[in-house]
Amino acid sequence: MIAMPGKPPIGKPDLERLRVRFGKDGRLAYLGHLEVINTIERSVRRAGLPFSVGNGFARRMRIQFSQALPVGAASSCEYYDLYLTQHVEPTQALAALAAATPLALAPTQAAYVAGRVPALEAWLTRSHWSVRLLGMGDAFEPECLDEALVRLRERGSIDFMRGDKPRTIGLSNTLVSWEVGSCAEELGMRAIDLSLDTRSSNLGALRPAVLIDAAFAQECLASTSLDSMRVLRDDQWHEGEDGGRIDPYDVSIAVRAR
Amino acid sequence: MRLAREDRFAQIEPLLGKVLHPARYLDHEWGAQEQQDGPFHVCMIYADTYEVGQPNLGIAILYNELNSAEGISCERAYLPWVDMSALMRERGVPLLSLETSSPVASFDVVGFTLAHELVVSNVLETLDLAGIAIAAEDRDEDDAFVIAGGPSAWNCEPLAPVFDAVLLGDGEEEIVDVARCIRDARAEGLSRQEILLRLSQVESIYVPSLYEVVVDETSTRWGYAVPKKGSGAPEVVYKRCIPDLAATEPVAQRIVPYMGIVQDRFAIEVLRGCARGCRFCQAGMTYRPVRERPAEQVIEAVTDGLAMTGYDECSLSSLSTTDHSECASMLNLLNERTRDLGVRVSIPSQRLDSFGVDMASAVSGSRKGGLTFAPEAGTQRLRDVINKNVTDEDLERAARNAFENGWRRMKLYFMMGLPTETDEDILAITAAARRVLEIGREICGRPRKGKGGVSVSISVAVFVPKCYTPFQWVGQLERDEVRRRQQLLLQSAQDRDIRISYHDSDVSVIEGALSKMGRKGFEVIREAWRRGCRFDAWTDQFKYDVWLEAGRAVGVDLEEVATESFDLEARLPWDHTSPGVSKGFLQREWRRALGGVTTPDCTMTSCTGCGVCPSLGVSNRIAGDRHAR
Repeated sequence: MIAMPGKPPIGKPDLERLRVRFGKDGRLAYLGHLEVINTIERSVRRAGLPFSVGNGFARRMRIQFSQALPVGAASSCEYYDLYLTQHVEPTQALAALAAATPLALAPTQAAYVAGRVPALEAWLTRSHWSVRLLGMGDAFEPECLDEALVRLRERGSIDFMRGDKPRTIGLSNTLVSWEVGSCAEELGMRAIDLSLDTRSSNLGALRPAVLIDAAFAQECLASTSLDSMRVLRDDQWHEGEDGGRIDPYDVSIAVRAR
Repeated sequence: MRLAREDRFAQIEPLLGKVLHPARYLDHEWGAQEQQDGPFHVCMIYADTYEVGQPNLGIAILYNELNSAEGISCERAYLPWVDMSALMRERGVPLLSLETSSPVASFDVVGFTLAHELVVSNVLETLDLAGIAIAAEDRDEDDAFVIAGGPSAWNCEPLAPVFDAVLLGDGEEEIVDVARCIRDARAEGLSRQEILLRLSQVESIYVPSLYEVVVDETSTRWGYAVPKKGSGAPEVVYKRCIPDLAATEPVAQRIVPYMGIVQDRFAIEVLRGCARGCRFCQAGMTYRPVRERPAEQVIEAVTDGLAMTGYDECSLSSLSTTDHSECASMLNLLNERTRDLGVRVSIPSQRLDSFGVDMASAVSGSRKGGLTFAPEAGTQRLRDVINKNVTDEDLERAARNAFENGWRRMKLYFMMGLPTETDEDILAITAAARRVLEIGREICGRPRKGKGGVSVSISVAVFVPKCYTPFQWVGQLERDEVRRRQQLLLQSAQDRDIRISYHDSDVSVIEGALSKMGRKGFEVIREAWRRGCRFDAWTDQFKYDVWLEAGRAVGVDLEEVATESFDLEARLPWDHTSPGVSKGFLQREWRRALGGVTTPDCTMTSCTGCGVCPSLGVSNRIAGDRHAR
């Protein structure tokens, strides 16, 4: 049986729940989560879809988003669940949304899921990230990055600042695995790719930039410069009780969850 | 120096991860004009951050007009916040436009909107970051023409040395005329000076460099401006006035920002001008006559605008929306159309009477937040002086009506330092608040524990005399006296359900000085900017002492300037520009103010002789019947 962590779904049983996958690309990678939410909500209104409106004080659109993506991170796999008062063919809905959404946030897939599956934000617990690091000094070796990550995991947690507030994130549960690629060249700078698999829970989610910054503060990399990094979230799943990864559109899960 | 037109976003992109709110610098918003083929390029600038400038309806109107004109393209630029501008200077990146990320210094025309007095240091900062010479006389032949307009252009003398031309009045046709004039003159191979001379012949365009300042016994210490001999520039430049608002495009706001902006909603201008005649109000004098958009045009435009933008809120914007002759039917129809879409309709302020409350009820639905009224002064005597034609009974009736309709919080706007004000007037502010609170408690009861009770907030601004108002001759109240009266106000409240807030008297001094100074004021502004003043409208950035020091450095005592009165017959620094309201009318209004005699609204009674209609060849255009109320 699927656990139902976090917020329950917001839809009434008679509403259609359309799950939409979308990307966050190019310069719009620098949008914050609230900015993405506002933009998508306005896109839905422009698309003319029969969206449902809540009855609360603020009368907001019934829509739920997957977990926040850090500012500066791109993605090809963000999701929202939109509650509709009438059935619209998913292909038609997708076309209407695509025509009304900025290209860099364009929807790529839409399908209905059962009304009672858990809310996306807490349900999607696993992410895969592709990170490209740029502008390391000549002394940099990929093995050093690997070594720094091993040490960090042994230490168990990272202390960092978010704005002016100190934060700590545990690594034993959030950092699932990583793979360091080989060195390449981009824009006249040394580049290296890093593949990351992370897990989130109500204790927190590991941001790739936090991990990389902490790695470059390790002794083995402390003297190595880093110009910038590009972060892309390229997959999200729910992690089942058996550790298996479940696709957000997996219909059987939706049925089992009812 | 004119820079090359090229996309330089690649220079900004690496900085985005290092600054606050990178969404300020992204562009590519829904509705932005991506095609920027020109070949004549204009950049409109609001010299503050994106979230402050983007909601400006004036820029939105001009942006659309220019982009729909043949052969002309228009982009936007805003002033980067201090973190970004520091990084840009460090890396040698000039200010860029949003749409194509081209250097602002590559444009043919750069236009500023002057929304308030405190924007002056940001204008200099913007030009400097762009790499455009701050003083017009230092610009090269090929440099952009720097122009300005907007509500604070009415005394633009302190910034006159910066601008090649200033547009007075309604800008939608004027801006296109200016762009075409410069484009055609460039094509003819005219020199910069010849182009300026030609611009001065365009209706409502003031070219400051063609005027010289004369100080004599008929003037104030700031002198008055007269056309230079042989320039052919008009002695008085009158504002441009669109006779019929309904003939203009109603949907101005088409760009949907990504980030939260200060007025994050679809706004439509339902009327322009206000003839209520409040004697402190510059907009009330300079935007005359009153021109209403018909209700059916508003409703159609709101429907189209919401579908086009996806906003979930629309604002019926104007100086006095509830004065619109078709306000009630307009709001009811809009509510009907948007009821099931989670769309909220809002109006910026309420008239202080039962009709105002009815209209507030019409837009609030079941949501009853706070309700705002502006009595402006505490006593009837002072309200008569300022021509705020409301009575204590109006306030009490409006409050009773509001509490009976479910509101629990009331906000009242007042001003301090109005001409003839006494301590009695100050104490009457809190007395009015207490009376409103009593009415609220009488209707709603008084819960034993804080929550759910009624409350009244008072916001008290410091009165700043503005040009082209009947109070343009008076001096501002001295800073220490403002503070004493603020303390008097605080001490008189004596009820924890009355909350008082008031404006910073320091900011008001600088605002007052900037409103009064003539062309020599430019030296003060430039010195203040050199000493680090910018973003003066941001409380955490405003540096009062630096402004005073800058003034002293160039021989100007800003506190003295702000409090100085002018002789009623003196020639004023701004007399060579005119919104159409005659000086005689303003003088008469000043005398009536001193006698406590009020003047009615000419849209509800007969002509009051302000002079706008005959001098500009226009008249009030009321869609329905205001007398029917």
